[in-house]
Amino acid sequence: MVRARGLSVLIVATFVAFACGSTSSGGGSGSKGEIDIASDLPVSGADASSGLPTQQGAQFAVDHAGGSIKGFTLKFVPFDDAVNGAHDAQKGVQNVQQMLANSKILGMVGPFNSGVAKAEIPVANQAPLAMISPSNTNECLTQTFDYCQSANGFTPASLRPTGKNNYFRVAAADTFQGPAMADFALKAAPDGLGITKAAVWDDEETFGKGVADNFAKEFTSKGGTVVDRKSFDPKSKSDFHDFIASAVSKGAQAIYSGATSATKGCIARGEMTAAQASSIFYLGPDGIGDGQCVKDSGSNANDHMFATQGVADATQNPSAASIVSAYKAKYTQASDIGAYTFAGYDCAAILIDAIGRAIDANNGNMPTRQQVLDQVAKTSNFQGLTGTITFDQNGDPTHPTLQLQQLKGGTWTFKAQFSQGA
Amino acid sequence: MSAALARVPVILRSWGNTQFSSLLGLLIVAVAVALTLGQVFAHGATYFFQILVIGVADGAIYALIALGYTMVYGIIELINFAHGDVFTLGAFVSLALMPMFGVTEGKAGIGWLFPMILIALATMLICGGINVAIERIAYRPLRHAPRLAPLITAIGMSAILEGAMYIWRGPFNLHYPDLLPDVAINFGPIQLSTKDVIVIVVAVIMVVALTMFINLSKLGKAMRATAQDRDAAQLMGIDINRTIAATFFIGAVLAATGGIIYGLYINNVTFDLGFISGLIAFTAAVFGGIGNIPGAALGGLLIGIIGAFNNGYFDSSWTEIIIFGILIATLVFRPTGLLGMRVPEK
Repeated sequence: MVRARGLSVLIVATFVAFACGSTSSGGGSGSKGEIDIASDLPVSGADASSGLPTQQGAQFAVDHAGGSIKGFTLKFVPFDDAVNGAHDAQKGVQNVQQMLANSKILGMVGPFNSGVAKAEIPVANQAPLAMISPSNTNECLTQTFDYCQSANGFTPASLRPTGKNNYFRVAAADTFQGPAMADFALKAAPDGLGITKAAVWDDEETFGKGVADNFAKEFTSKGGTVVDRKSFDPKSKSDFHDFIASAVSKGAQAIYSGATSATKGCIARGEMTAAQASSIFYLGPDGIGDGQCVKDSGSNANDHMFATQGVADATQNPSAASIVSAYKAKYTQASDIGAYTFAGYDCAAILIDAIGRAIDANNGNMPTRQQVLDQVAKTSNFQGLTGTITFDQNGDPTHPTLQLQQLKGGTWTFKAQFSQGA
Repeated sequence: MSAALARVPVILRSWGNTQFSSLLGLLIVAVAVALTLGQVFAHGATYFFQILVIGVADGAIYALIALGYTMVYGIIELINFAHGDVFTLGAFVSLALMPMFGVTEGKAGIGWLFPMILIALATMLICGGINVAIERIAYRPLRHAPRLAPLITAIGMSAILEGAMYIWRGPFNLHYPDLLPDVAINFGPIQLSTKDVIVIVVAVIMVVALTMFINLSKLGKAMRATAQDRDAAQLMGIDINRTIAATFFIGAVLAATGGIIYGLYINNVTFDLGFISGLIAFTAAVFGGIGNIPGAALGGLLIGIIGAFNNGYFDSSWTEIIIFGILIATLVFRPTGLLGMRVPEK
């Protein structure tokens, strides 16, 4: 009896397995198969204010492509790399491993944070899986400098065990983001701030320290003085009164905060006195150019605050207007548009474009990851929302553009745009 | 024993020699003081007093947390790692009560003062109740277990409190209303803000009130007796459970006060604030002499000042290394702390 029951269970299980098998192949009927584009972004917790709008941008690009590409079904598979409310490199690596295990995934959008990219690139590199980041700005991810190993603990070569590149980005590197703010600070008003003395802080992270060092280097070489250079551990530092007193006593006209609002980049602004806040400029990278920074600054959130964003402002690009307005019609909240929403769109669009070419090159068959990667590397004069994108051999955009925003009436508004090598 | 000692090289044996280790400790302190004095003279008096005031204000907050550690240690010899999170809870609860009492940022005058006192009292009651409940649930059943067991439940309680606050308000920095008047007060080179003065005065009032309570009240006497010898105190008719619960309640009241003045001074709180603040306050308690109430206040003050001086005059990346270096140095060179441990005579 027991044995008979076991047999019947086996038979039922076999039927179920067959049924499932036929269902999944039935779903693919009329299609040559399924191709997935993954994303790895922090979409929960403290980073969600910037990660989620970016994921929505990438999702919108896939939707905009109509859910299919050259006879294949096209799907978007988002991953979240936040753990306990903050982006986590280890979680990012696990996500990439899951992507690699899914043979339908031919490319990924992300990651958002340079520290996560550092951990993910070597894993994806061995597959190889094409990665396109909307927002990574650390220069050492793609470019070799003599300080990369000592300052960041990695070089482009050490992140790529196969020796071949699989990583691309559309954002401008910190070698551009930090210096752009330094140039702006030194330039006479009204095109700049016309100041010569700045205090520079960083949050001891790959991104924050990198961008702060680059700001300091440019500011000094163009005739400014860095009067105070400090680092803080965002896990324990919350009283910035001593940092502020130190900067003020050394005559700083501006504070450059190399941090993000998730690493307490704007807490110090909230701790200044009203008199200090109205006389000292508060500058920072894209990490502080969000709504959380405005909240943290409290009553000191004023028009003396400036932040760079690693990509161009899509709303300044007339040819992007129709897609931007279609996005706004679908995602109606103000929080649905972050600095990297349309960069996320561009990353996914570049991947879709490359997959299309890879299918053609493979005579209409399912391309391999290597074939997609080869086509991503050949991306040239791609008409994106944030500009015309061509990748160089390092995976960087050849003409990175970034924008500088000023806080006006509680929102970050476009102030100036900088292009490199244009 | 002496034969074994004889084989140890002289230099190693001298580590155990109190005179030698105190001398080495003194030497380190002397070098640190000399380096700091050099910096102080290079930067002028105004800046020195500015940094000093910031250090004292930070130290006052650490002291309020350290008192809770030291009181609990004194009475049941438990390092209550959840205490730092009770401090954070003080800030969170008061923040949540503010809308109910109509306290908002940017109101002119001192209309906020009376509701704020009510908020503070309610917060103290809530935090005190929670801390008593923690003691009842997690520590009392383990009172006769090996000392490692309650230590582990304390760490567990800390994680639970942090997790609850994370679920409640999320991982973001929460803005705490900036209510304290910020008026500059100048005495020659000493520049103070009314904000600093209020923080320091509140902390001093709390410490003095606690000391008087412990020394003069009947319950305070019972607490001292329980700390000295729990069994004898019980035989003399002291309700041990009630006395220990009272200790946890008072510790939480002090931590809640710390949380409120932290919020009013720093204007930002996060759910995981208590972890590192708790560790630093614990260091302060050990530095002053764990179990010793004036010691905890002194230790908190000194740790605050040392942190601010290092941030103001030296490389800020070293602050944590120095503070936790002090923890290790205290335990190695002077395990009884600056003012001496209150060791139960058994």
